Amino acid sequence: MTESTPTNGGAKLKRTFKQTFAFPKNCVYRPLRQIQNMERNQKLSPEQPTYFTLNAPPSLRPAKKYSDISGLPAPYVDPHSKLRFANAEEYASMQHMPSDIINGYLTLRGYTSAVG
Amino acid sequence: MPAHKRVLVIDNGSYECRVGWHDTKEPELRFRNVLTKPRKDRKKDNSQATDALAAHAAAAPEECSKGNGEIQVGNDITNIEAVRAHLKSPFERNVITNWNHQEQIFDYIFSKMGFDGKSSIENPIVLTEALANPNVCRRQMSELLFECYRVPAVSYGIDALYSWQQHQRAHKSVQDALILSFGYTTTHVIPVLDGRMQLEHVRRLNVGGFHIVNYLFRLMQMKYPVHLNAIASRMEKLVHEHSHIALDYQEELLKWAQLDYYEAHIMKIQLPYNPVTASNALLTAEQKQEKRRELAMRLLEIKNRREREKLLEDEQHLQLLRKLRQLYEQQKLQKFERALQQQQIANLEELDKLLATITARIKRVKERALAPPRPSKQQDKLDKLPKPPEGVPQSQWLAELRGKREDLLRRKQARQQQRTEQGKRHTHAAQERMRIISTLAARSEKRRKAEEEDDGFGMNDNDWDVYKRINRYNDDSDSDAENEQLLEYEKILNHYDVSVDDAQNAAMQALSAAENYQLHFGVEAIRVPEILFQPSMIGCSEAGLAELIAFVLNFFTGEEQQRLANHVYLTGSCAQFRGLKERLSKELMELRPFQSSFAIYESQDPALSAWLGACLQAKQGNFRETLTTRLEYEEQGSEYFKEHVASNNYYPTPKD
Repeated sequence: MTESTPTNGGAKLKRTFKQTFAFPKNCVYRPLRQIQNMERNQKLSPEQPTYFTLNAPPSLRPAKKYSDISGLPAPYVDPHSKLRFANAEEYASMQHMPSDIINGYLTLRGYTSAVG
Repeated sequence: MPAHKRVLVIDNGSYECRVGWHDTKEPELRFRNVLTKPRKDRKKDNSQATDALAAHAAAAPEECSKGNGEIQVGNDITNIEAVRAHLKSPFERNVITNWNHQEQIFDYIFSKMGFDGKSSIENPIVLTEALANPNVCRRQMSELLFECYRVPAVSYGIDALYSWQQHQRAHKSVQDALILSFGYTTTHVIPVLDGRMQLEHVRRLNVGGFHIVNYLFRLMQMKYPVHLNAIASRMEKLVHEHSHIALDYQEELLKWAQLDYYEAHIMKIQLPYNPVTASNALLTAEQKQEKRRELAMRLLEIKNRREREKLLEDEQHLQLLRKLRQLYEQQKLQKFERALQQQQIANLEELDKLLATITARIKRVKERALAPPRPSKQQDKLDKLPKPPEGVPQSQWLAELRGKREDLLRRKQARQQQRTEQGKRHTHAAQERMRIISTLAARSEKRRKAEEEDDGFGMNDNDWDVYKRINRYNDDSDSDAENEQLLEYEKILNHYDVSVDDAQNAAMQALSAAENYQLHFGVEAIRVPEILFQPSMIGCSEAGLAELIAFVLNFFTGEEQQRLANHVYLTGSCAQFRGLKERLSKELMELRPFQSSFAIYESQDPALSAWLGACLQAKQGNFRETLTTRLEYEEQGSEYFKEHVASNNYYPTPKD
């Protein structure tokens, strides 16, 4: 640790190891999606693995159905709210749920309605 | 570049960053890889900062910079829970995308590691990066390190492979492995054959610790919408300490569905709460009244003080004006005019008016002060409250009232019920309504035909109720009186109930208040980490871990598969889940051929092994060969880096 000499005035002493440097404006933040597009436009050879070719493949096993509320195996779906439920008590509790909670459960499961 | 320089090893993980010198046993600096810019009242902060400066000029540069609302990084964040919503990370998934944030973090790292005041950084750096880190990102990292910080040399490596090197110390002859790396945002399946990573067959599941914590948070948030704030800070601890991976998820769920199993295994978390309601209820009516009286007294006092001050002011003003008046009377007109201007008074008439109003005001205040205090309104109200009629004991009277109130409520509810039922078609109520309407219509038609013939409808007041019954929008217009009565009853009951309130009731209330502040944590313990194996639970379409392992193994010949399965290595912070190893051996048993062998090894220190492995490499004789020097950076371009056994492969971006 170097001790800061008081004559220099503490705050100014900070980060002397740094050079003035700034990225071009458009490079400071690039979302992953943009990087993916850039790589796609580079016409890399198809054999070359990139970050985006290493994604896990989509699952081929049928997704199991669980109750949105309790997580238990859910044989039933409420046609009105589209929530899955495991038993009658859950169904009863669903009837008094505000719509934002219902929507929260649905989006958590990644459910998107056909209407949008 | 001298070889004997100490090497700064940075394991730049998306959850936690670990920094230390390569010849030490453990990282000196560990911090959450996040930063925040506290939003504060700027003006206030500035004044504070200058005060601090004046007080102890250069002695506390740290404090000054903090006071300025400067960006806080990692461990410098004073209250991480409070700024949870404003935390920023340079990462998107496991890739660095925000370079402003990364620069802040490097500033923090180098300051903490003692480079403050030095003119340059002269130590080489080992830095971990994402597997298959896009060229763009690495280029920017190199630019940042070489241009901004002027580091002499850097070596990029993959955390999972460093961790594997660390593990290899104990398993020297092992050259093949299937590495499962459990990170904060991603989970990797990495096949290694003959000591080399098979990059083209690596697969990454974009689910990690972050998703697990977030999933639990969202579940709890919807289960307990009221306790939102209290929940947020506890989720991570719950995941770290109380979640585990189920050996057989379906079977465990069926167990949880049994009520007695649930009762036996449910974990209840008591949130801190303020027993205000309880203590309030414990107060007797007299105590409450006493409190209210005290409050009234205090308010009265404040008011009196204000009045006295005003009175004093007025008197002074009056004296001044009187002097003015005297000036006029003594015919010192010039002086008088000037004084008027000073007081912003137009002319003599206005002065007189002002004098009159002020004297009147003073008189009024003085009179009021002398008058006896008015009886308090509270007492009035109390007197107005109906008292139990003579000869009837209070409790009986109250019980009667209660009964009446219940009755009213019931009637109200019945009406409500009927209304909602009438709203729906095909219900009995709706049909009944239609029937009444049709009979009424038929009757009036008949009446029109037979003119005078009267069926006596309307003679009885109750007959008109039939219209009330069929009116669908029949709101409480007719029951306004009832509503009023209800309010009256409730007021009386409230008043007397307080006085008959007993301690037992209060204790009950306190108990239920405590229960209201409890979180139930049951199925969640296994449900939350299960998303690693079933990402479909959070709407992610990717293959779960077991399926992914099978997918990766299928790239290889049977013989190679066996070599990989013989050494499955678990690393990364999320590998610390209880039951992970058992679950994986069950899954491997299912997907490997009958009676084939496999072995699973856990990292000894899943969180730190990557850092330790990187140190290990930095100690080796050929370490210099893994370093990309500044000279090389300048000559070969910012994309270039040296490949080594734990690094990514270098694929130059094609030029066009």
